[in-house]
Amino acid sequence: MLARLRSLARALFRRRNFESEMAEELRLHIDQYAADLMGDGVPPGEARRRARMELGGTNTIEEECRQSRGLNPFDELARQTRYAVRLLRKSPGFTITALLTIAVCMGANITIFAAVDAILLRPLPLANPDRLVLIYNTYPKAGVTRDGSSITNYYERRGKIPALSSISIYRIGTAIVGESRGAMRLPVMQVSPEFFRTVDTPPAFGRAFTDVETSYKTDNVVILSDSYWREHFEADPNVMGRVIRIDTFPKTVVGVLPPGFRFLSSDPEIFLPLASSLEERAANNRHSGGNVTQMVARLAPGFSLAQAQSQIDAQNAHLERGNPRAKMMAEAGFRSLVVPLRADHVASIKPALLLLAAGVLVLMLIAVANLSNLLLVRASSQAKEVAVRKALGATRGAIIRAVLVETVGISLAGSLLSLGVGAAGIRLLRLLGVSRLPMGTTISLDVTVAMASLLGAVLLGLALAVPVIFVHLRHAGDALRSETRSATAGRGTQFFRHAFVVVQVALAFMLLAGSGMLALSLRETLAVSPGFEATHVLTGQVSLVGGKYPGPESGLDFGERLTTMLEHEPGIASVGFSTNVPLSGNSGKSAATVVGHVFQPREAPRGHYSYGTGGDYFKAMGFQLVAGRPLTSEDSRRPQRVCVVDDDFAHYYWPGESALGHKLFMGATAQADNEAFTIVGVVKSVKQAGLTDEAAQGAVYYPYIHRADSNIYISVRALSSPEQLARTLERSVHEIDPELAVSDIRSMEQRIDESLTGRRSPAVLVESFAGIALFLTAIGTYGVLSYAVAQRRREIGVRMALGAQPRQIRNSVGGVTLRLFAAGSLLGIVDAWAMAKSMSAMLFHVTPFSLTVMTAATLAMALIGLAACAIPAWRAARISPSEALSEL
Amino acid sequence: MPKTAEILPGTLDMLILKAVSLKPLHGYGVLLRIRQISGDALHVPQGSLYPALYRLEHQGLIAAEWGQSDNNRRAKYYVLTTAGKRRLREETTGWNRLSTAIASALNATPEEV
Repeated sequence: MLARLRSLARALFRRRNFESEMAEELRLHIDQYAADLMGDGVPPGEARRRARMELGGTNTIEEECRQSRGLNPFDELARQTRYAVRLLRKSPGFTITALLTIAVCMGANITIFAAVDAILLRPLPLANPDRLVLIYNTYPKAGVTRDGSSITNYYERRGKIPALSSISIYRIGTAIVGESRGAMRLPVMQVSPEFFRTVDTPPAFGRAFTDVETSYKTDNVVILSDSYWREHFEADPNVMGRVIRIDTFPKTVVGVLPPGFRFLSSDPEIFLPLASSLEERAANNRHSGGNVTQMVARLAPGFSLAQAQSQIDAQNAHLERGNPRAKMMAEAGFRSLVVPLRADHVASIKPALLLLAAGVLVLMLIAVANLSNLLLVRASSQAKEVAVRKALGATRGAIIRAVLVETVGISLAGSLLSLGVGAAGIRLLRLLGVSRLPMGTTISLDVTVAMASLLGAVLLGLALAVPVIFVHLRHAGDALRSETRSATAGRGTQFFRHAFVVVQVALAFMLLAGSGMLALSLRETLAVSPGFEATHVLTGQVSLVGGKYPGPESGLDFGERLTTMLEHEPGIASVGFSTNVPLSGNSGKSAATVVGHVFQPREAPRGHYSYGTGGDYFKAMGFQLVAGRPLTSEDSRRPQRVCVVDDDFAHYYWPGESALGHKLFMGATAQADNEAFTIVGVVKSVKQAGLTDEAAQGAVYYPYIHRADSNIYISVRALSSPEQLARTLERSVHEIDPELAVSDIRSMEQRIDESLTGRRSPAVLVESFAGIALFLTAIGTYGVLSYAVAQRRREIGVRMALGAQPRQIRNSVGGVTLRLFAAGSLLGIVDAWAMAKSMSAMLFHVTPFSLTVMTAATLAMALIGLAACAIPAWRAARISPSEALSEL
Repeated sequence: MPKTAEILPGTLDMLILKAVSLKPLHGYGVLLRIRQISGDALHVPQGSLYPALYRLEHQGLIAAEWGQSDNNRRAKYYVLTTAGKRRLREETTGWNRLSTAIASALNATPEEV
């Protein structure tokens, strides 16, 4: 069997050799035989003639030899392909339309399939990724849906949960890597010792971290990613024991990871041990997750996710018995959820992605309807030719094969073009900022995607062949008569053609309505005010690393020096700093205890956005003061404790009253009286997590000294375009401390813009699908109508000869169009309604059945119908009766 | 010219295998060799020789390589492969059994019945 395949392949791929060698072999035979005959005394001419005669016709022998090699089906295919190519070249209009339709629609499908594959389908590059789970604390009744896991959680659970074979915690962040000159800020990951066992990817060489390395004094080790090792150590195998500086501290290399390691969306260059103090591991820090530390675990063999969940629940219940704040946590709805790692990671974009997948499939259906119609029109005009071939003895099989070669061939050719369109589409996705979405950076045009598109092309070709074959086999018998002489089209094909137009119109309507609703929703979102003056504000993050910043005072000193320095720069109106800024992507909420607030039954304590601020933060960000005064830098230096709250906070605790003068404690418990903060100002609420975030969570702003953090954000209000100030900001930070770097430098407008990626990209994509769909529908309808008019020439001629006015003829063409579009639009309204209901989760302030959108879509379809029938109707009305009748 | 016999259907492949098993041969050589080893009794119809050679090569029973012919022309020489040797052995055994059986059948006398 193998020998035969090899011999066939050799003959196929070296076909020219095969043919010439065969001819040479036969020639040699004739020559030698003739020579032998001449040796026997036969005259030369006669010898050659006899030699040739006895061998027989070389053509027949060659054909039989080819047959022996199994070459015949391939020769037949090549013949039919040549025939199909000849036919397609005779009708370039059809061929180009068909190729472009396939290229564009399949290209759109490739783009979306690549995204679906990368985000939802392709297994994570970790061993047995479907056994990995994420565990996070949630306090839904306090408005905190995700709070990560605490270090305490980790030490309490480690080895105590039978359903989990390995539990790890990690933090994703950045660090300054290298000596002060060539230092760079790189993505890093802090992990607990068994992390690489949990994800089942041990270092390629060297070792993982040990338990000893989880204390602050002894955590001076690193593991390198393969790419960092190659780039900075030239893949030196003796890298173990070398020292690199991370955030200015020397660390010893103990391991290198295998190439291609990435964890979800993060692609860290350096791995550090996640160190903690005994205090951080204590029971009273069980609820201090703060969504910074995450917990990943692997299900033990034979255990299910539900079992892991119930074991975690049972342990939580047991541990919370000793917690004085257990009642409050229970009232906040505290639970630790166990969720599948991947599904959880992509949950936020899955609906949008599925919507896009549906949209792009609809586009493909439109393309199929459109191509079917073009092919049907073509099939009708080929009917005579097919009838002749049948009459000359072509079998059913031969006709079917010819159609298949044509349709599969054209869709394969189109699919090759579509790879280019798909690659362009993936580039468009990048431009839309998709790489910021979960797993977005992994979208690529790879072998899987290419193979899927080729398979899709073959299926498409088969599907397109069906109606054509049907028409050929059914009508070919009487085609010699009916399609040429009879005055009207065969009822069967006409039904098909009209049905395909209606389907196209309905599907295009659906896409159009869907894109309209997404666009409307995006407009509503953009119209939302962030609650502050976002223009002209530049923000950047500075991590106060190195030994120079041991406590809040040193952080405050740095912040104030930087603020003062920047205030004297030209082009800067005001400067402030804070522990976080709105829309930064990290939103820490924590509790505040309001003095005198009596909890109602079933009222849960609330998590509020909490910030430490310094300098002119409120002025720099453009917050609006509602009452009282803003915090100033002096507030960090005064003994009196003061704070500012926002509208939402004030309305919640003192509805209809002024919040000024009231007192609160930071944290979930009341403390000594002198620890209380007096509210001195109220600012308007701002959108903290995103423009569509409508939960009135409340925010408290403390002086920096009381809520310090080693990560600070600098906010600079510029007099004009803020981007120019990026250099000034970096220079000033370097002037104070050359070891520090500014990261995440963005204007607030940019942050708002980026927060909309998840909404904007589906809207833009669906809009382009709708655009393509309308165009295809117009082309398809135009094709069908102009064919119908051409076919009805004689009928129209007769009518005009009998006194019909051009206007009546025009109206009759228009009438057909109108009926088809009305039917299609009606179907489309039903489809669109069904679709809108399924996408209501993605809509913001837009009802699923928007009358505006439906009306607009109907009008647009009417315009498309009008455009499609204008030329055919005009042509029909200009038919001259005498000419049309003389063709009879 | 001695009387020649037509080749029995199905035996051409076997004869070709036998011919090339003695020495690598080109197409015309196969023809001559069969005639020679059959004592000039078997004449291969020239038209069916090449399709048979291509079929046997396709089946992997013989292999072809280009070499020089006696009068210094490029010629395609056929040699027997391992699979071909096995097949020739099987066919020879089968044929011998058959011809013995037929011969003994044809030699039967009334007494033996």
